Amino acid sequence: MTARPPARPRHASLWHMVLAPVIWALHFAAIYGVTAIACAKADATDTARWTIFALSALALAGIALNAWRAWVQWDYPSDQNYVHDAPTAEHRREFLGHAGFLLSVVSAIGVVFATLPAVLIRSCL
Amino acid sequence: MTDKHDPNVPVGEPVPEASPSGIYPPTQEMLDQPVPENLRRARAEELRAAWETPRGWRYISAVNNTEVGVWYALTAFGFMLCAGVLALLLRVQLAVPENDFLDADRFNQFFTMHGSAMMFLFAVPMFEAISILLLPGFLGARDMPFPRLSAYGYWSFLIGGIFVLGSILFDSSPKSGWFMYPPLATEQEGVGPDIWLLGLSFIEVASIAAAVELIVGTVKCRPPGMRINLMPLYAWYVLVVGVMILFAFPPLIAGDFLFELQRSMDWPFFDPDRGGDPLLWQHLFWIFGHPEVYIVFLPSIAIAAMVVPTAAQRPIVGYSWIVLSAVGVGFLSFGLWVHHMFTTGLPNLSLGFFSAASEAVVIPTGVQIFAFVATLMVGRVRTSPPMLWIAGALAIFTMGGLTGVMIAIAPFDWQVHDTYFIVAHLHYTLFGGMVFPIIGGIYYFYPFITKRKMSRKLSGLSFWLTFIGFNICFLPMHLTGLKGMPRRVVTYPADAGWDWLNLISTVGSFIVAAGILVFAWDLVRPKGRQPLTPRNPWNAGTLEWSHDVPEEAWGVRSVPYITSRYPLWEDEKFLERFDDGRFYIPDAPDKLRETIVTSAVDAEPQAAVPVTGPGWITIWAAAFTGGTFILPVFHLYVLAAICGAAAIASVIYWLWTSTAQVPKAPSRDVGLGLSLPVYVSGSKAPGWWAVFITMMGDSTAFASLVFGVFFFWTARPDFPPAGTPLPDTLFVTLSAVGFLGAWAATVVARGQNRRQRVGTARGLLATAVLLALVATASLALALYLPGLAPKTHAFPAMMYAIGIWTAAHAALGVIMLLYCLAGSLFGKLTPRYDADLWNTTLYWHFLCLTGLVTALLMGAFPRLT
Repeated sequence: MTARPPARPRHASLWHMVLAPVIWALHFAAIYGVTAIACAKADATDTARWTIFALSALALAGIALNAWRAWVQWDYPSDQNYVHDAPTAEHRREFLGHAGFLLSVVSAIGVVFATLPAVLIRSCL
Repeated sequence: MTDKHDPNVPVGEPVPEASPSGIYPPTQEMLDQPVPENLRRARAEELRAAWETPRGWRYISAVNNTEVGVWYALTAFGFMLCAGVLALLLRVQLAVPENDFLDADRFNQFFTMHGSAMMFLFAVPMFEAISILLLPGFLGARDMPFPRLSAYGYWSFLIGGIFVLGSILFDSSPKSGWFMYPPLATEQEGVGPDIWLLGLSFIEVASIAAAVELIVGTVKCRPPGMRINLMPLYAWYVLVVGVMILFAFPPLIAGDFLFELQRSMDWPFFDPDRGGDPLLWQHLFWIFGHPEVYIVFLPSIAIAAMVVPTAAQRPIVGYSWIVLSAVGVGFLSFGLWVHHMFTTGLPNLSLGFFSAASEAVVIPTGVQIFAFVATLMVGRVRTSPPMLWIAGALAIFTMGGLTGVMIAIAPFDWQVHDTYFIVAHLHYTLFGGMVFPIIGGIYYFYPFITKRKMSRKLSGLSFWLTFIGFNICFLPMHLTGLKGMPRRVVTYPADAGWDWLNLISTVGSFIVAAGILVFAWDLVRPKGRQPLTPRNPWNAGTLEWSHDVPEEAWGVRSVPYITSRYPLWEDEKFLERFDDGRFYIPDAPDKLRETIVTSAVDAEPQAAVPVTGPGWITIWAAAFTGGTFILPVFHLYVLAAICGAAAIASVIYWLWTSTAQVPKAPSRDVGLGLSLPVYVSGSKAPGWWAVFITMMGDSTAFASLVFGVFFFWTARPDFPPAGTPLPDTLFVTLSAVGFLGAWAATVVARGQNRRQRVGTARGLLATAVLLALVATASLALALYLPGLAPKTHAFPAMMYAIGIWTAAHAALGVIMLLYCLAGSLFGKLTPRYDADLWNTTLYWHFLCLTGLVTALLMGAFPRLT
């Protein structure tokens, strides 16, 4: 085995940029699966609904944490830069933070939207 | 000799790889240093020789992106015209009530082929074609990273497309709609569904090949300095769409696999009488089908993202917002598939999730449209033919988006489901989201592709005919649908109130056709006498407009060092430096085609690796692969197996003779005081990324089969049915152990080989082969011995399907191990040059996981339920 290269800092990682939508996707798959199983196997609507609420709270907490870290990485108050078009590591870091922050917002909306049916619909039918 | 040790490194120590050395980034003074005239000329001659396009009949062996991309695009456009003719014939039939222009059977074939061809033979391939053609230009790269793979994809597409579309001439097309719902499609007589399943699976393989190529091209072949925040927006979209293809197409391939097993072997996956469920197909189809709409839409809107800043003569407004939009849509579009299935009786709660996600996807989609409009508002807009088409696209797409918001609401969808309202909606989104931007893009990039301009007058004529005709054709369909006319009916009674609406639509469809024909004429009319275009006719700012006029086959004169999003606007000295060959690899001393490999995020140069040149082997490989997919349609299984073996042999020959060749020297001087390795293995190598990406797609297909098992488990009370034989635990365990052992042996072999213990490595590779064979045989025995009968019920059928899937992958794993063993014996794979072994190990990580999941599904799952 060759020696591993030094780990890349978080701010140079594309994976962190897409972490929030990944949480959205996991949340979506989980609530779909929970509903399918709870409704098909047991007709247990309330179990499904409360599990969904718990999962949504968890997902939103994860997205919020990610949004906060992305906001810190974007570091907007320091230089109020939202264009990021310079060929520097700083602009790249801020850009990935900015995009990650915006994706967190969209993902949070996605999670809230997907939770609404469980608030409004109280039946497996 | 092959096992000669590196004299500088003791046995047992890992042989170090060559690494970049010298100066990076280059200074302004270095870039200002002129190149002496005679040196510049000599280097240009070297490049010209290395990149020469084959002439005469050898032309078709070309693999250059500028050739393959054009063939690809023209073929896709040709298929589009055919599918358009089918649409016109459908419209003639529907023009008046109780018409008998087409009989019902032919009508069914025509609408099925219209949809299938437009989606599989036009929309998706067109994205691949245009990306292959343009992406290297956007990225200042010489070519795509795997030119022969592009060519292979193209030939596969051509063969598959002619086969599928040709069936219409023999009255043997599929006729159950482009989504092939069982039981209608599983029960259809004749070869129609088989043509659809096998022909399109073949084309999907080509699509995935293109996705691999485009992702690796974007991630690893950007020019030095083009950090991720400077990447052209088109490349962002290509990246997102490439990844989407990897997760969207495999479920359909898995579905096709099950479907074809049912058609040819009578295994009842979709037959409710024997434990199957037709809805499984709908799930697998739409997990593919809905993201596919966005796979079609995003790259087209990406063209708009290139045209709009040029039209506005200023940088795009909200670059980060557009990236958000592309990535966000890429994710959210996977949460929409059930909105095609609102009427199938799923729990309301589930419908709610998909309805909500369908509404949420509007947010990122809207963001990019607003960013375009904002760019146009703050810029100084110059009207140009491309911008006219883009404006038309935005108008029509927005209309389609608005009806989309309506039908995303389940109760509204219940009213208009399967009516002409849906036909209107989908054509608004696809015409506005795909056809208009693509045509705009062709007007825009035509000077880049052919060095000549298309006609402004014909563009205007074509645009207005298409735009007006489109609205005449499709706007009334909203009303036709609301008045209750169902889709896919061959005719309708005179007193239903649909006749005048249909007549208007038919008139409109012919106006659209006239518009498209004007465009087609403008595209292909001879332009030999026309003067060449100026180099940058639209005064654009992005890299592709540094192209050579007249054309040179080398892609870029030198691979530039990038410091801005719009180098032609913001870097005054750029073109001078570029043309002078002051950037990287301005020469080809060994007459090799090369490209620069850079790191994924910050685009720091890592290597200058050779890329493959012209070859016939790709055509052979595509032809044999075609035979493997096409011959089973006619139940010629032996011939198909022979073709399969020949396809594998062709691919092995292709890889052995042209990829990962041991270089003469480990590094090369690439210019500007920088020396780069010419051979890299592991995660720096484009080939490793290609394997990784392919295996992501492959795992998605496997995950879809696993989804199938759990779907049956939730949807059916009798899965597994009481008293049915279960796979044998002992042999299942043995197979798991075999996969684990083979994987471990492969991983250790890689380390030992790198430490120059070549003999040990070879022994381990042979052991891995043996263990893999044991694992596969155990898997077969685990199913065969207890007497699972796949024709009797979906449960044994599913177990067999997963077993076949894993066994086929194990066979491939064995071939790869033997390839490495042969490489080690014949000097293609050495302790230092071990890329093939890295790639094989990577494959085995995935295979081991597949083997273990298979063992759990067979051994543990049925006993737990």
